[in-house]
Amino acid sequence: MTENNSHEPADDAVVDTDGGTVTGAAQHHRDTDYLNREVNLLKPSTPFMRDHLKLVWGSFAVWVLATWGPVVATFLAPSTMTSLTILGFPAHYFMVALFAPTSSLVLAAIYARRRDKLDEKYGINTTAPTGTASGSGEKAATDGGVNE
Amino acid sequence: MPLPLQAEALDISFKPTGAVIVFLMMASFLAIGYLFRVADTEGMWVAGRGIGFIENGMAIAANWMSAASYLGLAGLIALAGFYGLAFVIGWTTGYFVLLIFLAAQMRRFGKYTAPDFVGDRFNSPTARAIAAFTTLLIAYVYSVGQASGMGLVGQYVFGLDFVPMVIVMMAITVGYLALSGMLGATKGMAVQYVILIVAFLVGVFAVGWYHQGMVLPQIQYGAMISDLGNQFSEPFVNAPFYVWIATAFSLIFGTCGLPHVLVRFYTVENERTARWSTVSGLFFIMLLYWSAPAMAALGVDLFAADAGISASQVFAGAEAGGMSGAEGDVIVVLAAQLAQLPQWLVGFVAAGAMAAAIATTAGLFITASSAVAHDIYTELINPDATQRQQVLLGRATIVGIGALVTLTALDPPALIGELVALAFSLAAIVLFPMFFLGLWWENTNRQGALSGMTVGLVVWIAAVVNDLIMPFSELYGELVPAIGAALVGTPLVFAVTIIVSLATSDPPEHIKKMVRQCHSPEPMGQQQTAEDVVSTDGGQTPADD
Repeated sequence: MTENNSHEPADDAVVDTDGGTVTGAAQHHRDTDYLNREVNLLKPSTPFMRDHLKLVWGSFAVWVLATWGPVVATFLAPSTMTSLTILGFPAHYFMVALFAPTSSLVLAAIYARRRDKLDEKYGINTTAPTGTASGSGEKAATDGGVNE
Repeated sequence: MPLPLQAEALDISFKPTGAVIVFLMMASFLAIGYLFRVADTEGMWVAGRGIGFIENGMAIAANWMSAASYLGLAGLIALAGFYGLAFVIGWTTGYFVLLIFLAAQMRRFGKYTAPDFVGDRFNSPTARAIAAFTTLLIAYVYSVGQASGMGLVGQYVFGLDFVPMVIVMMAITVGYLALSGMLGATKGMAVQYVILIVAFLVGVFAVGWYHQGMVLPQIQYGAMISDLGNQFSEPFVNAPFYVWIATAFSLIFGTCGLPHVLVRFYTVENERTARWSTVSGLFFIMLLYWSAPAMAALGVDLFAADAGISASQVFAGAEAGGMSGAEGDVIVVLAAQLAQLPQWLVGFVAAGAMAAAIATTAGLFITASSAVAHDIYTELINPDATQRQQVLLGRATIVGIGALVTLTALDPPALIGELVALAFSLAAIVLFPMFFLGLWWENTNRQGALSGMTVGLVVWIAAVVNDLIMPFSELYGELVPAIGAALVGTPLVFAVTIIVSLATSDPPEHIKKMVRQCHSPEPMGQQQTAEDVVSTDGGQTPADD
């Protein structure tokens, strides 16, 4: 399937390769056959999926509040929202035009960062080009291409 | 709607500097495309893998910045006030949903176009055809907005009337397409982004400085808002709360369903880059979206001063001496003109708008032609089609859709931003549920997808007919406004797809494995698709269902 160590039978050897950083989570990851575990948005079937979905749903909830909160607040309490000022703006205008879109950007960065951490926790190396379809011969070509 | 008329202030005449800037800009895109084409033939994989998340983010942003962002957004905010902000929210925050639910998974699925995904995931040529038809419709509706923008700005630079201008600009687009199509200039998009954003930001900073002495207009325009009249900022006067929410909802989920946006994720090296390029893409988009409301505020203020009317009269409608729709649509250029910027600078801002419109239209036309030639004709009508026939049909599609777009744009039924928003509501209703369920619920099957997409198309077409062509029901128009049809349509399509999928048999095992492969954290090869992995990794023989 891929070129990582998931098919190594000897556990000790695996630990050594990673410099002793293999955690319980990473071990779980190695033991999981993802192609035989159901994908379910509401009922994660693997530890990785559980952690990932926690992150997905958690940040999605914050997104819902940040994106829709300001406009709903403006609808519910128009006089308060329009009379307050933030940085010279009427509060409702500031919250919708600047705060809401910017919060999506911040959330996106936080999500991507946390997702990277998740890969780390499970001992997944995303930087090395892997896979059988692109052989190792092409790896050298990549660097040559970038440097040129 | 009467033919668009321009403000006296927008000096319509042939401007040699402006024209030169436009042609230089287009020529630079072609030159860049040509240079990178050489690199591509030397080693396609190398170039393919070299695209990092910053560059891909710029490409995402360049793809995104059409006339609707460049011109339409500021126009909507200037004319529709607080309602215009629904477009700011809709065209930015959707990227977050795209990031957490679709970007990396789509990258792992590894196909090339939206119809490809739908056709392969649901294992059905009919589903592929419906997706292709939808793609075609999206390209058409989206392009009408671009053509109308080109016509309006073209007037400033080339000085022709609106109608001949649209025709000339569309001819230029098809010609540009013939050239750039040969070059396959995907890599030039990063450069294109830089030019566009510089043109826009220079415009905003210059107008803010010349007009009000502002250093950071993106923040400082807030202090002007109270002077701009109620209509500019008062919530829900131009559109009720429901329409506001419906519009933003449609745009957000339309972002997640637009074929030409999703394609950007296939060009990156792995799913981590797909994630980070969504983040950087959103940042690059935000640079314009932080600035457009400032441009709108400055534009309204300048317009009022120029016409000698109070700021609130600007919203009284064109008949009462206020701003017309066409003027709103070119507010970005108009503001630059009214702020007495030097002519070359105004020309630069205008050229940015035209470049955005032409490049996006070219991209959309290519999507449309491949949908017709590949997904509809070859996959459905004539499986034995030769290369020659396909290329011929692809070209015919471009000419045909070009003519159709030109005709429609001569008398545009709505503002640029609104027209483009129709394409988004279509993507949100028909394609987004297929992407989402297809990737996140392995039991979604062919029957479910087919019925879901059919229902979605009907809902959207009915909404557009009711809103713009032939009104048949007030209640339907209230609940399902064409621009915000997704608020009702998308959940409905979700429900139909799920119910039908549950009522019919499960999809075959290899399809389920493909979905699981999209979510597996296991790194996979650059050139691999989920299908490859499944078929080489002990996946069962593909079942015939």
